[in-house]
Amino acid sequence: MTDLVRAAAVGVIACRTCGLVSSRALAQHRERCTRCGTVLRSRLPQSTQNTLAWLVAGLILYVPANVLPVMYTSGVGGAQESTILSGVVSFWRAGSWDIALLIFVASVAVPATKFLALGLLLWTVRRRRQWGREPRAKLYRMVEFIGYWSMLDVVVVALTSALLQFKALGTAEARLGIVFFCAVVVTTMIAAMSFDPRLIWDATVADAR
Amino acid sequence: MLNPSNDLLVCRDCDTVHRQVSLAKDEVARCVRCEALLARHHRLSIDQLLALTVAAAVLFLIANMTPVLGIELGGMRTEVNIWTAAASMKYGWSAGAALVLAVTTFFAPMLQIALLLWLLSFARISRRIPGSKGVLVALHLLRPWSMTEVFLLGALVAIVKLASWVHVVPGVGIWALAGLTILLTILSTIEPRFWWLLAERPTP
Repeated sequence: MTDLVRAAAVGVIACRTCGLVSSRALAQHRERCTRCGTVLRSRLPQSTQNTLAWLVAGLILYVPANVLPVMYTSGVGGAQESTILSGVVSFWRAGSWDIALLIFVASVAVPATKFLALGLLLWTVRRRRQWGREPRAKLYRMVEFIGYWSMLDVVVVALTSALLQFKALGTAEARLGIVFFCAVVVTTMIAAMSFDPRLIWDATVADAR
Repeated sequence: MLNPSNDLLVCRDCDTVHRQVSLAKDEVARCVRCEALLARHHRLSIDQLLALTVAAAVLFLIANMTPVLGIELGGMRTEVNIWTAAASMKYGWSAGAALVLAVTTFFAPMLQIALLLWLLSFARISRRIPGSKGVLVALHLLRPWSMTEVFLLGALVAIVKLASWVHVVPGVGIWALAGLTILLTILSTIEPRFWWLLAERPTP
């Protein structure tokens, strides 16, 4: 890959917002992109620290999101509070294994994958690990892509509690757990956005600044 | 001499510099180092893009003025759409979740459509686009927070969830949401560079 050059090596810098390529001399004076006005920086400032902070915040919020009930339902059959996992289990028991799997993937597997994947990316970048740069670049793009699907359960809880409004016959209400769950989705999305994927290549490529 | 702004394309994911190439129909350009998408060819004209955006605006209106889902129980009936779904969580602590849901499934898609309409209407009549810089930066920031497709899937899950004990009636809104999801997906494949070049186009 000797013929591949990176922006830093040829004295140019690409704007993170609009993609316009400018001369690097501008960036050294903290100049702004001439097209969109974004401050030009060769890397996101304090990327690994910010990502770690948002990731830890997400991990802390992940505990109440899973322990606390996300929904309260009452009906002729009695009242009950359900957590994310108990919701998955009740779908499974009712025979809807496909919906159980879908909610499990969106609400449990996706956030867990994000924590593991971003954790791995942070660790390898900080240790300047050389292996698997292409797979790690793909892993980052996957994290970016799957992130917002975790909002699925929030939508389901909202729709259910908006629809089930029949007093004695059946009601549903959102519970505190869903707020924490929502916060997990938002914090992990910000964590992924704070991570600068160019760092994966900086650790190993000689022309990095 | 190379003019960096016009001849070069830098990969967002790994900072590798590429020379711009012109793409043939349906071709995509990928980074040689990390395989990230660099550019995508599209064959939609301003007229077609405007038509898609107007259609998206109409579908957004329909999705918000008709019920997405309804249920019947003991002779009573309740209905829900994007706005009432978010509003159902507005009391107490869950208001935080209501706010996030309203932003991601109502305000973000609405603003995206409005901003695209703004850009394309002025482009259509070959006028300079007022405030194009702010509009394009806003579109860039909104993009990850727009979740119409997640709402659609959530509505489908809710149908299955409730169907075991109540009669669920899918409303007109769910079809509008399905159409809206398709249109927003098509519009999001247009790369940002296209919009920036559109805004910079010389006007008569």
